[in-house]
Amino acid sequence: MTQDVVTASIRIRATPEQVFPYLTDPELLPLWLGEWADTNPEPGGRFAINFGDGGKVRGTYVLISPPHRVAFTWGLQENTVLPEGSSTVEIYLTADGEDTIVDLTHHDLPVGERARHEAGWETCLTKLTEAAHS
Amino acid sequence: MTAVKASKQPQTATKVSSPDAVLKAIADPHRRHMLKLVQTSEMAAGQIAIHFDMTQQAVSLHLKTLERAGLLNERRDGTRRMYSLRPQGLESVRDVLAELWPDALARLKRAVEAGKTQKGKT
Repeated sequence: MTQDVVTASIRIRATPEQVFPYLTDPELLPLWLGEWADTNPEPGGRFAINFGDGGKVRGTYVLISPPHRVAFTWGLQENTVLPEGSSTVEIYLTADGEDTIVDLTHHDLPVGERARHEAGWETCLTKLTEAAHS
Repeated sequence: MTAVKASKQPQTATKVSSPDAVLKAIADPHRRHMLKLVQTSEMAAGQIAIHFDMTQQAVSLHLKTLERAGLLNERRDGTRRMYSLRPQGLESVRDVLAELWPDALARLKRAVEAGKTQKGKT
């Protein structure tokens, strides 16, 4: 089994202070990720996002350092390929002039042989499809 | 803080079907069921068709879609077409997330920038 990483970046016309609440506030998170969120933004605190028709991402905040850095674990409820808390998402906010550069890294993604043969990969794909289309 | 990383699409040596094709292929519950059937062992098209309440032709079309998305291997055995799960196909799970996050960040940008306009600078 190999593991993999996905990265993504974007520039936002706002300060890190203005962006940061969108990564922790359960009312602001669904504006860009999923449809519903429940969070307790402190280390060890709950990070829960529901996507479309039942994709449930569950994890915990690992690190919260306003306004520059957030990390939380990421997995799908009742899923053996990407179980709750199995992968980690790290987000850095870096001020650049009047903008903020957002750098996101999703670590420890299971890919390859084992993921395919474990029961539940199908559910994983279904959820991801919903996620990607929501 | 770390420098900005330019995360470009990774170059894969093997032919990888587009995440879009994979997503479309697995969007259909019948096709997901078909993938599950051949998950552990190869099956003939006719054998697969038994599990579905549709014509063998319809099943064949679904199998073709899966094969084109790179999710199935197809092999001829005499007159039979044998299908098995293609090992590399689901590497695209990674690709799916590689699409999910940029889309999400684009929404984040819109939400933050729209929210700023509404509230004015605080």
